[in-house]
Amino acid sequence: MTRTDVRRLLPGLMLAAAFAAPARAQENVPVNGPHDRTEVATAFIHAVVHVSPERTLRDATVVVRGGRIVDVGARADVPKGAIVTDLHGLHIWPGLIEPFSDLGIPPLGRRGDEPPDGAHYWDRAIAAATDAAALYRPDEARAAKLRAEGFTTAVVQRMDGIARGTGCAVELAGRNARRDMLAPRASANFAFRKGTSPDEYPGSLMGSIALLRQALYDARWYAAEGHKAQSDVDLQALNDQLSLPLVFEADDREDVLRVARIGREFGLSFIVKGGGDEYARLGDILATGQPLIIPLALPAAYDVEDPFDALEVPLSDLKHWELAGSNAARIADGKGVFAFTTQGLKEADDMWEALRRMVRCGLDSATAIAALTTVPAKLFRLDDRIGRLEPGMRADLVISSAHLLDPKNIIHETWVAGERFVHKPYDGLDPRGTFDLNLRSSVLRLVVKGTADEPDAVVRRLAGDTASVKAAVTVNGPVVSLWFDGSRLGYGGPVRLNGTIHDRGGIWDGQGQLPGDEWIPWSAVKQRGNGGKERGTNGRPVLDSLWAAPLGEVWYPLNGYGKPMLTDSETVIFRHATVWTNGPEGILRDADVCLHRGRILAVGKGLDKAVLFPRSRGPVTEIDATGKHLTCGIIDEHAHIGIARGVNEGTQAVTSEVRIGDVIDPDDIDLYRALAGGVTAVQQLHGSANPIGGQSALIKLRWGRSAEAMRIAGAQGFIKFALGENVKRSHWGDGRRFPRTRMGVEQVFADAFLRAKDYAAAWKRYDERKPKDKAAAVPPRRDLELDALAEVLAGTRSITCHSYVQSEILMLIHLADSLGFKVNTFTHVLEGYKVARQLRAHGATASTFSDWWAYKYEVNDATPYNAAILTEQGVNTCINSDDPEMGRRLNQEAAKGMKYGGMRAEDAWKMVTLNPAKALHLDGRMGSVEAGKDADVVLWSADPLSIAARVELAFVDGVRCYDAQQDVKQHAVVQAERARIVAKMLAAKKAGAATRKVVAKERGHWTCETIGERP
Amino acid sequence: MNARVLLLFVLCALGASPLRAQRPSPGPPQTRSILVKGGTVHVGDGRTFDEGAVGFRGGRIDYVGYAYGVKAAYDTVIDIAGKHVYPGFILPDATLGLHEIDLVGATADEEEIGELEPEVRAIAAYNADSKVIATVRANGVLLAQVVPRGNILSGTSAIVRFDAWDPDDAAVRTGDGVHLDWPGAYAGSRTADDGDDPVRKARVKQLERIRRFFQRAKAYAAGPKDQEVDLRLDAMRGLFNGTRTLFVHADRVREIQESVLFAREMGVVRTVIVGGYDAWRVADLLREKKVDVVLPRLHSLPLRADDDVDLPYRLPALLKERGVRFCLGMAGDMERPVSRNLGFVAGTASAYGLTREEALRAITLDAAAVLGIDADYGSLEPGKSATLFVSAGDALDMSGNRVEQAYIDGRRLTLDDHQKQLYRQYEQRYRGR
Repeated sequence: MTRTDVRRLLPGLMLAAAFAAPARAQENVPVNGPHDRTEVATAFIHAVVHVSPERTLRDATVVVRGGRIVDVGARADVPKGAIVTDLHGLHIWPGLIEPFSDLGIPPLGRRGDEPPDGAHYWDRAIAAATDAAALYRPDEARAAKLRAEGFTTAVVQRMDGIARGTGCAVELAGRNARRDMLAPRASANFAFRKGTSPDEYPGSLMGSIALLRQALYDARWYAAEGHKAQSDVDLQALNDQLSLPLVFEADDREDVLRVARIGREFGLSFIVKGGGDEYARLGDILATGQPLIIPLALPAAYDVEDPFDALEVPLSDLKHWELAGSNAARIADGKGVFAFTTQGLKEADDMWEALRRMVRCGLDSATAIAALTTVPAKLFRLDDRIGRLEPGMRADLVISSAHLLDPKNIIHETWVAGERFVHKPYDGLDPRGTFDLNLRSSVLRLVVKGTADEPDAVVRRLAGDTASVKAAVTVNGPVVSLWFDGSRLGYGGPVRLNGTIHDRGGIWDGQGQLPGDEWIPWSAVKQRGNGGKERGTNGRPVLDSLWAAPLGEVWYPLNGYGKPMLTDSETVIFRHATVWTNGPEGILRDADVCLHRGRILAVGKGLDKAVLFPRSRGPVTEIDATGKHLTCGIIDEHAHIGIARGVNEGTQAVTSEVRIGDVIDPDDIDLYRALAGGVTAVQQLHGSANPIGGQSALIKLRWGRSAEAMRIAGAQGFIKFALGENVKRSHWGDGRRFPRTRMGVEQVFADAFLRAKDYAAAWKRYDERKPKDKAAAVPPRRDLELDALAEVLAGTRSITCHSYVQSEILMLIHLADSLGFKVNTFTHVLEGYKVARQLRAHGATASTFSDWWAYKYEVNDATPYNAAILTEQGVNTCINSDDPEMGRRLNQEAAKGMKYGGMRAEDAWKMVTLNPAKALHLDGRMGSVEAGKDADVVLWSADPLSIAARVELAFVDGVRCYDAQQDVKQHAVVQAERARIVAKMLAAKKAGAATRKVVAKERGHWTCETIGERP
Repeated sequence: MNARVLLLFVLCALGASPLRAQRPSPGPPQTRSILVKGGTVHVGDGRTFDEGAVGFRGGRIDYVGYAYGVKAAYDTVIDIAGKHVYPGFILPDATLGLHEIDLVGATADEEEIGELEPEVRAIAAYNADSKVIATVRANGVLLAQVVPRGNILSGTSAIVRFDAWDPDDAAVRTGDGVHLDWPGAYAGSRTADDGDDPVRKARVKQLERIRRFFQRAKAYAAGPKDQEVDLRLDAMRGLFNGTRTLFVHADRVREIQESVLFAREMGVVRTVIVGGYDAWRVADLLREKKVDVVLPRLHSLPLRADDDVDLPYRLPALLKERGVRFCLGMAGDMERPVSRNLGFVAGTASAYGLTREEALRAITLDAAAVLGIDADYGSLEPGKSATLFVSAGDALDMSGNRVEQAYIDGRRLTLDDHQKQLYRQYEQRYRGR
């Protein structure tokens, strides 16, 4: 076109532009060559249109133009000039949404120790200023895999760090980042894992939680005051992003609850990406009201053909394998809101098998579709643009042969923003079928099998002998080539044919060449179709019936010692027991003890039911305890059981901000084992890797209950301190962290408490302001580390201090005296006997081992006589375990007080009951068998201090938490449950389900000194 | 007299000198005959004699029975009425004397470098003066098998007595066994795909190396007298003629099956399973192949999450029911200091299915039999070594175990130790004020 031509056309063009509707988006990018000015509409007609999960239109039309849906409906007008595509009853769906992905976001990789560029938060795990929109680069390989399953949009984030910055929503159109960006700030993202941050801190789950809490407090402070003194792009970003949809990655069901607690503290509502095991704590999780993103990935079965191999798979894994498929259905039944993610799937197309299994397990198929479309659209506030097929929304759609969950379904095309991606042409020719092949007057039978893309074929005579020969069929668009060795069919050599395909594949015809250079016409006429076999179908009926059959029950907790129902507290009278009261009455022979409503109601001889319960008609269980011994439950003052992902923060000298209470693992089998050893309460302590460790949790072993329900309400706060070889890192580390000597340890404490004093004073000044001044004043920066130490100074939080040698014990006593705080308990305290009088004068408890020593240099002078000497000197003395094994034999350990130093039996017994209750300030409720105290009692087969003693019953708050007889019965139940699921696994494997080899879980156990998130 | 000398003098006067040896002197050879009588005699083979007596002279027992049956005269007669006399407890699979303080590396002599090192010998490093040993024997453990730890073939063990001037004096038998850690059957990476799991692949190679090594050792053992000495292969020689026992450390069924059948195939004459958590599940195999078991420390957590909470305690009863001979070990965390609780581990077995005397047998006569020293040790029988102790009460119970006298080969032990010394010092300190 010449320049003149253009000028002549201009008025018309301008007019057209003025009336063009809808208005085209303005383009700011120079174009190489003439601009593409036409936006031709595409109309899909005669389709089954799934407008939304709830609404389906039959024989309807969808019109798209310029990346948007223009019209949808049974009577939608097909605009003139549109490309019209007749779908012949194929299905159109809204494009699917992947809500949790790092597609197109380059990973950070390993970083050095040098400080980062820019004004960032002090800890690199807080990377809130990360902006996925600025990092996104279309990743065509990954996008293509998702598109092939119907995904058109992904919400992507940099999955690295605890505060991960903002995520963006991108269309998977593979254009460029700018054009594919649907929403640059679609989410703000968080997790409990520090990722590639080279900072040592945090080194545990509880540290991650503490760091995030501190950062959120810091962000508030930064907005009010902090920004005046410094700039911090991460805190600024945090403040700017908290109004976005907040996504929190949780590893498992307990994490989901941990996220909720952070949400409550800060008034934030998170969308939680869960681990797929929510069903096992469903009530608590639903009660949080958090929307969930749950994985489509389901656990694979194990190879369990060998019964001894099968032994290595714990029941928790077996049950999870069976129940995981019902997770979505259970959440849906509980009115929980959830979206699905493909994250964790080996291959994206495994999602359909997983979804079908979920539907077999009770998930409504509309809910399944919603979890891939409308729900994620709404969660990320994109529901005005994606998730449904409605005018004005993005032209993101999927064309499929059937319902998406139909096992025979084929996804033909995905359209993203009006761009077409063909996976399997619906107008493509499927060569498979049975044909009559007419070849020069004779008729042969051609059978084409295999896949549409790679067909296998055989040719044989129509009648007579059944000899068949292989044939090669190649289809290239409408052209088909076929060759076979005709020697055995009477053609004397290779037959090669070329032809075209007509009548939707029903007739092939063309020319061919016989041996000897003879050219002939040929044709093939389809007699039967292929029957539409889907992928890997052989085992489907088996698998379908496996998942449609009733599943096992959810046990609380989900392991070999769980139960489908938790019991309540009982009313029990033990008769004729030897009762170790730990009170003024000492040991009562032939006495009765009554438990009622979680408390000890009465202790005495010949308790009369009519007197105890004059009006009540509730059931009373009477237990004959003749010849048996009844005691209060053992209290383990120093334990590390039931703790998730790290017992030591330890990466800094002072970590008083971390809390074991954040990371209680209520399902830890060691809690049950401790119960079976007569333990009913424990102090879960932080480890001893640093001078000021974390805050303890005090729990009762309310087996089966949630982490929160295990905590002892109203218990005072405790915190772990430590001295000696561990804190000066004699056995690990690079030797660069202060302190490296006991001298330095003292200064760490002095420094920390001086800071805490200043901090407490600043808050006091603020709190004492008059209300109107206060409103105008800026509160001091909330410092979680100093909060805990200020509580110690105020006397509301007590110290349990890991210690060994006399110098360090005296050092801390003197320091505490000079700064005005108390050391409540010295734990281990193996040289306590050397400074017994100073311990008593300070009022400290000594909580020690019965006979451990020689495991490190500082326990050279340990002696098993320690407890006896300390008791003799009037120090409140306990025997603790610090070990899950010894923790279930604390009665034996207490008895060693009699062997080494000749303690009285009752005094020895108090070392694991009343004395730790005193140390933990729980002696008002626990530690003795006296009316009014908590019904935490244990029935022993014999004198609890004798080697013959076995626990028969353990009650916690009147609830029967361990029963040796029931335990034996439970064993049979577990065996039956294992056998049932193993049989199912074998059936699943036979039917073609994926399996994995058995790996024995050598479970480590926490000790004081375990560093890192795995024992 | 300067102040330091004065201080020394005062402390000596108090009988609590800091210079006093932390390990008391070993006892002299028995010269005077001794009869302990009036207490309960626990023979070690299951029998007991209430109001019994044990007589010994020249280091050998010459009387065991009821006190009224004593005919011979003894130089010393000790009345132990109301008390108990036991054969010395025998601890298999120990590292006492090879590593004094866990976290002080310079005191560690228990684990050599390399994975096929049967030639390293425990006795070469054994510290007869270990002060940990003094605290262990004070609870009745008088003999032990000292074992090099390590990866795969860890070395050659020795059996020692816990009262000796030096390793020669301590040695009851050197080179009693070669120790093989069988590679774990279910080790595997949790992340890698099954097909290319590096841990699994490594195990296959390891098993092949073990097989090859045993084949070479067997050929060497049958080789000409004048062949060149190969230290590693030479250490294996005894396995093929029965002068050494192969102690295979294995816990799970598959590991026990594999290793027992492997040893048989290689021509190893005598095999003992150490650990053997699952031994009861393959009792038929062990009985048939005459394989004994050194059970793991019963005071352990169950190996598997679903195992009965008391399964470790019941292992002895399970083996007893199935007719497999066993004794009790203490290997594991802090194995050296906690070895003194061997008696209480046996006591626990008696609370979970064994009788008290059966439990005792597992740390005395059967322990001696498993270690191949039962001709001399393990029970109180005439002709055997006078290795025994007297306890004020039931030595398998914490409140009863108070060892008042102990003898090894008739030599009387001084039952003092560092910890008792400290106890006395501080008792005096506090009483003094």
